[in-house]
Order: sequence, then C-alpha cells, then structure tokens
Amino acid sequence: MDAYLTSLATFVAINVTLALGLNLITGFCGQVSLGHAAFFGTGAYAAALVTTGGFPFAHGVAAAILAAGLLGLVVGLASLRVREDFLAITTMGAGFLFLGFVRKQDWLGGEFGIPGIQPPFAPEGMAVLAILSAILVWLASIAVRRSWMGRIFMAIARDEEAASSIGIDTARFKLAAFLLGTMSAGLAGAVYAHVVQLIVPDAFGFIQSITILAMVVVGGIGSNLGAVLGAVLLTLLPEMFRFVDTYKLLVYGGLLILVMHLSPDGLVGIGRRLLRAVRR
Amino acid sequence: MATRRLVTGLLLGTATVLAGAWIPGAGAAESIRIGFHAPLTGFAAGDGKSARLGAELAVEQINAAGGVLGRPLELVTYDDQAKPDQAVPVANKLLGEGIRAAISGSYSGATRAAAAVFQQAKMPYLSAYAIHPDITRTGEYVFRTASMGEVQGRGGAKLIGEILGRKKVVLITLDNDFGQSLARGFKEKAGDFGIEILNEYTYSIKQRQFGAIVASVKRDAPEAIYASGYFFTAGPLVSQLRAGGVRATIVGQEGYDSQNFIDIAKAAAEGVLITTALDRDSDRPEVRTFIEAFEKKAGFPADMVAASTYAAVQVLAQAFERAGGTDGAAVREALAGTRDFPTAIGPITFNALGEIYKPIQVQVVKDGRFRRYAVIDDPVLLAPPAE
Amino acid sequence: MFYFELLVAGLVQGAMYAMMALGLTLIYGLLRILHIAHAAVFTLGGYVGVLAANSGLPLAAAAALAVLAAAAAGPVVYGTVYRPLLDKPPYVALIASIGLLIAMEDGFRLLFGPYGLSFAENPWFVSGPDLGGIFLNWVQIALGLSALVAIAGLGLFAVGSRTGVAWRATVDDPEIAMSFGVSPERVRLLAFALASALAGLAGFLVGLLNNLIEPGMGNITSYKGLAIVVLGGLGNVPGTLWASLLLGVAESFGTIYLDRILDRDAIAFFILVVVLMWRPQGLARGR
Repeated sequence: MDAYLTSLATFVAINVTLALGLNLITGFCGQVSLGHAAFFGTGAYAAALVTTGGFPFAHGVAAAILAAGLLGLVVGLASLRVREDFLAITTMGAGFLFLGFVRKQDWLGGEFGIPGIQPPFAPEGMAVLAILSAILVWLASIAVRRSWMGRIFMAIARDEEAASSIGIDTARFKLAAFLLGTMSAGLAGAVYAHVVQLIVPDAFGFIQSITILAMVVVGGIGSNLGAVLGAVLLTLLPEMFRFVDTYKLLVYGGLLILVMHLSPDGLVGIGRRLLRAVRR
Repeated sequence: MATRRLVTGLLLGTATVLAGAWIPGAGAAESIRIGFHAPLTGFAAGDGKSARLGAELAVEQINAAGGVLGRPLELVTYDDQAKPDQAVPVANKLLGEGIRAAISGSYSGATRAAAAVFQQAKMPYLSAYAIHPDITRTGEYVFRTASMGEVQGRGGAKLIGEILGRKKVVLITLDNDFGQSLARGFKEKAGDFGIEILNEYTYSIKQRQFGAIVASVKRDAPEAIYASGYFFTAGPLVSQLRAGGVRATIVGQEGYDSQNFIDIAKAAAEGVLITTALDRDSDRPEVRTFIEAFEKKAGFPADMVAASTYAAVQVLAQAFERAGGTDGAAVREALAGTRDFPTAIGPITFNALGEIYKPIQVQVVKDGRFRRYAVIDDPVLLAPPAE
Repeated sequence: MFYFELLVAGLVQGAMYAMMALGLTLIYGLLRILHIAHAAVFTLGGYVGVLAANSGLPLAAAAALAVLAAAAAGPVVYGTVYRPLLDKPPYVALIASIGLLIAMEDGFRLLFGPYGLSFAENPWFVSGPDLGGIFLNWVQIALGLSALVAIAGLGLFAVGSRTGVAWRATVDDPEIAMSFGVSPERVRLLAFALASALAGLAGFLVGLLNNLIEPGMGNITSYKGLAIVVLGGLGNVPGTLWASLLLGVAESFGTIYLDRILDRDAIAFFILVVVLMWRPQGLARGR
C-alpha cells in the first residue's frame, strides 16, 4: 500500500480510538471533557518510557492503558465534585496542568520530549495495529452501549438528578465512564508514540483536546458510529484541503460552525434525517 | 429542503475534492522534484512564510542559471503546521510524489518526525533551521544547515565573557527546545570565560508580559542579559526590560533575527547584540546576491530563516551536481562530502553526523537595522557533536 | 521594594485578565455560553487599533475605534453564531465558538500577515508618571483604570438603571422578565456589545503593551479567562474581579518562584483545580 495512505490510515485510526474514548465520557455519560489530550499524552509518555527503557512493546501498551486510566480515575474523582460547565473547565484545567507539569520534568525529557522510540513493526504493521486498536475500542463501546451500564450512562446524560433519585449511584458510573474512556486514550497514546517515534509535550495540548471533542460532536455526540465518522472526516479534512493551502484552518473553523448550525446532532443526525426522508 | 440539498452538495463536493487530492500531481517530466514542508498555517506561519520564500528564491535563481544537471528544480510544498502528527503524513505524501530529496523549513518537532520517515525511505533530507540535537541522529540521510543550539549558546558565552568583557550575567530562557539548548551550551562554557550566572528565569512561548522578570532582573543588576527567544517574544521582552529601566547589555540569538524584532522593540532594540547566521554587511557575493534578491522578492528584509532555507536548497543543488544524478545513495554521499561550499550563511562543511561547522555572525542593531559587530570563528569552541 | 514591584506587575496582569473575564462572565451569566471566541474579539480590538493608529489617527481615537469595532462585532457574533443555537445543549454552542475562534484567528492571519503588526509610534508605552521608583507606563495605568471603571460602571448600572434591573431580571428568569415587558433579546445584544467593548479595549491596550498584534494573541487569555469565570463563581461580577487579580499576582510570583516546577500558564488551572476541590461553587458565594 502507498506509504502516504498507510500513514493517513494510521492517524485516522488513532483519532478514531481517541474519539470513541471521549464519546464514552462525553457522549454516553454527558460529562463534557476539554482535557482528553492529557490522557492521550499520559499513555504516550508511559509507553515511551517503558519501551525506551528496553521493555517489550506489549508492556508499553499495558503501562499506557494503566497510567492513563489511573489519571482518568483521579480526574474523574475530582470532577465528581463539579458539574456541567464547571466540569468542562476543570478538565480543561487538568489538560493545562498535565502540559505545564510535563514541560518541566527532566525525566520526561522536558521540552525536548522523548526521542528514539523504536516501533515494533514496519509502518504497514503499525497501521494494522492502530486499526485493530480502533476496532477493539469500537466493539467495546458498542458492547458498553448495549449493556445495562450503557443504559445507565444514557440515563445520567439525560438527567443526572432523575437518575440518582431512582437510586442509581451516579458517581460510580461516571467514574466507570472516565476509566473506560481514558484507558482508550492511553491505548491510542501508546500507538501514537511508536508511530511518530518521538513525543513532545506540545502534541498533547488544548488544541488536541478540542480537536477530539470536535470529532465527537461533528460526528454526532453519543453515537459510536458518529465518533468514528467524525474522527475520519476531521482527520482527512486538512488532507483534502491541502489544495486550499493557507485557507485550511479558516475552512475547518467555518465547517465546525456550519455543522453545529445545520445539524447539532452531527453527521449521524444528517444521516438519520436523510434516511427518514427516503423512507417517506 | 434547501438545507438538506446544501448538505448533500457539500458532502458530494468534499468527496470529489478528496478523490482529486489523492491523484499524485503530474509535474514536468524532466524536472527534479524537491520535497519541502514548512508551517504555512498556525502559530509558526511567519517563519513558514520566510522559509518558503527563501526556498523559492533559491529554486528560481538556480533554474534561471540553467538548473541542475540540465534539469529545472521543482519545489513540492506542503504545510505541516509545525506539528509532528502532520509532518508524518506530509513526509509520506512527498515520498509518493517522486521527490529526489527533501528539505525541512519547519520547527524541531515536525522535522524530527519527518526525519524518521525520510531516513527509513533512504531519502536525503536537510533541516534548514530546526535546532533540536536529535534531528541528525535519526540516521545518515539526515543533514542540518544550521548551527545547533548548544553551539550557538557557547558562542554567546564567548561573546559576553570575552568579546564584551561582561562577567555578571542573567539568563532569560525561552522554555522550549530552542531556548533550553541555547542555555545548556551557554552554561557549559560560561565558567571558561569567567562568567558568573546570577540567576536564570524561564518563560513560555505564549508569554508577552514580562513584568515579574523585569523586576527580578532589576534586583539582580547584571552587566549583561543572555535572553533567548523569537522576534515575537524578544521584541516585547527587550522593550519591557528597557522601559523598566534595565540598562544591561542584551544578547540574543538567531531567533531575534528578523526585521520584525526591531519594528516591535523600536528604540529599545538599539544596541542589542545577536549571534546568528546571516551577515548583513558581508561583501561576499553569495551573501549580497541573496540579501538583495530576497528583499526584492519578499518586500521585506531577509531574515535568518529565509537565509538558512535558501542555503539548504543551494547545498542540495550542488550535491545533485556532484553526484551526477539523483540516486538517493549517491546524493547522500555527495552531501556528506560537501566541503567549504559557499552559501548565504557562510561556507558549509558537514561532519560525520551531518552537522556543520560555520563561524557565528554577531550582529548589532544600529539605526533600526542589523549590522555586523563581530565574527566568532573558533572551530574548537563551536565544533558540533560528531556522533 | 522587589516584592512590591512583583505585586504591581501582577495587578496589571490581573487587570488585563479582568477585562477579558468580565465579558465572559456577563455572557455566561445571561446565556450559559462558554464564549471562547471572545479571544478573537479581543484580537479584533488590537488590529483595528493598530491599523487606525498607523494610518495617522491619534492613539485616543484609535482606542475609541477599537472599542467601537469590538462592540459592533459582539452582537453580530451573537446574532449569527449563537442565537440559532440557544435551545441546543451547551456543547453545541461551545463547538461553534471554537470553530469561530479558529476561523477568525486564521482570518486575521490571512488578512494582516503571519508576522503580526506593530504600532509605528508607541508614545503611551515609553512614558509614564513619576511614582517614586516604581515605573508604570501610561498603557499599564490605562489598563488598571479601565478594569476599575468597568467594574464600578457595571455595578452602578446593574443596581441603578432601568436596563440594569431588566438585565438582572433576565438573568434570573427570562420568561418572567418578558411578561414584565423586558425584551431578553435586547438585553442579550447589550451584554454582547458591552462584553466585546471591554475585550476590544483590552486587546488594544495589550497590543500597545506588547507592541505586537498577533492573530492568536487573545487565546491563552481567554482560556484563563474561562478558568477565572469559574473561580469567581460563574456569572459573579465582583468574584470575577477578585479571581482575576489573584491570578495575576499568583502568576507574577509564580514566574519567579515556581519556575522549576510548573509552567506559568498552568498556574491558573492549578489554582482552579485546588479551589474547586475545596469550594465546588467557586471562590465567591453563588448569586
């Protein structure tokens, strides 16, 4: 396969993994997070530390999932105290804190990041790995969605107070959503680190967080298929827009506004309406 | 419904565009294609613009003079937003478009990410001005036409301690790989020149307000300040230091090297010294041609980024000539064998790692322009690492 | 003396945060929108000001133009981007706001170039009153005064004027306000105009202070502004002022003393997280 398409497919798959993870938190459970890149970064750093330390890649992946999940639990616990808009800003704060901390840590390479991360496979192999990870998270998300846990998540997203009034321990389920979502981000981070082969703090900043959120929302918040579509579209968008060259970001920003206006439930919403129109 | 039609149209449109974007560009068959990536959008777009103009100028001049091996050069340019995750697909895209070599007009993160791709494809690759130490360590196909940060930092120590004779120094360090490697080199050699470092402050690239640092520097009362930064941080920093009453000599580096720095700091910029690659008062023809042609093409004075990218294209062109073809391995050999090749940023010789030694130009701001102050030509002090 | 200088530097910085955060808090209070694109309005003020000043207008006139342009832009942003989204979940407006910020930032870059613009003459920056050892230039003084005037003005306006009362009624309950003949739409337009005027003035003054107007100059300030809004107790005007000043001073001292541990831009969020753990409703008491 063409090297360009291979690398594109790899990044699409990584972003799909990220978007599906965030969709678990924000889509299913209604907890808007503006700091998802911090968990992505945690995974990337953990995996890089482990494999550059001479351990096998599988250990790196395990460490990434563990570390990101652990941080997810901490942030999740912290965010139990706040709700809605407070939560969005708190998670945004968690993102900035992560970055501000990593930048100053010599053992994480500080501003220089961690170089020389050896990929376990050739680029094609890494693409397959990234796609398999994305599919794994997708299947897991579908399973969650169909389970009793998924139904409770949706209940919390719809009306948290009503959910707790019928005896649902909302805190536990919110934590579960955070844990699952951030573990997926950790997995994506491990793959990312070994594809790019170097990681720098800037790759995990606020812009990355809102890009992931935009994928979820543009695709159709709360829908697994939507998260996948959103991630595919927004990752390929800059590539498609190479012809508009310097206007790329202008078009990207404009498109976000447009989608929110035409279809706040995203691409999936457009699809649903089209289907309904066809059936009629 | 109108809205629905609009949406369908939009989707169809993007699909068409998508299909179109994936057809490899069909250029003139006989031209030699050079891949080029730079940040054309996003926060680093200023440097990206300078880099692109510099590279285009070199290509135009080379083609006007008959091209390389009798064939014209063709620059294939893509935007990387200075991001590693954009640089990897861009590098792969370039590889798929029949390039014979590639040049980075971008920052360290994107350059390191792309370097790994080009090294694996055994494609000769030059970093024009990204300074991260690990770039050339990616492999034998990766070269750099800029002085490393550490090397420039050592030059800064010699400038302050020996040439200027200032011994009490405060460091104001930009918190990124550029600033950190400059500070590393400076501190490594400061003792050799009798410099006492009173204090070091750091700031982030987003910072423009330096009130707290100015107050602290006033308390430290240094004889000189070694402050790293780019024109957009250094301009506000220098004007706020001066406005706050700090009179110490300020020494900067090639990040300052843009007329924009002087436009921002105005009178406060007068007397600021920088260590850089471009000598405005050089009488060497290769430097004069560049400075004049660039200002004519761009409409603003040349800067270090443009000069370095321009030089990178020239270095690559002579390597094609000496290799007598465009075979990757042969071009790599020719690049590695480059000795004293004259460019706008001085004569270029690569060492075993693909790093260059070149004298450091010290420029001073005088009457609103950069002017020659001194040249530090010290092959021992300024030797780049060879492995 | 040194500590006093740090304090002053922090207060000036805090005044800038206040100018940004006040607008954000007004808008949040009325509409519950996290208006991240406020940063672009701030930047607009900077660009209009620098273009006006460089075309030969006196600085005071350029400032007035910057404020007017921003004040006009605010209601336009509300009408085109936010109004159609008011009945949607809050993240919809948030994503639209992010899209607007990205598009406007790049629009500035395309229109005015990637290098940014500088004032040809910057007399307010290079001169200032003699305050006995502390050097403050006129721009810093203007920034501090504007923040104070804005706070005092908002306070008087909210308590003393008819529109102010209508405003508070709209915040409390738009439907009841409407039944008393208050038009919530007019109040919202007014809020956007006021908030944007403050941001535009701040953008202009910060432009003078940096002598550099850049496409993304407002971004980090608006992110921190959102943190301040939460710290101050969402929608609470005096709380916002206190939180802004607290953050400015904390950053000023943090730049010197926390240098090795935490990036300066993370200090705001460190305070935010700590405070929220301790008082989930923010520093000030809820309204």
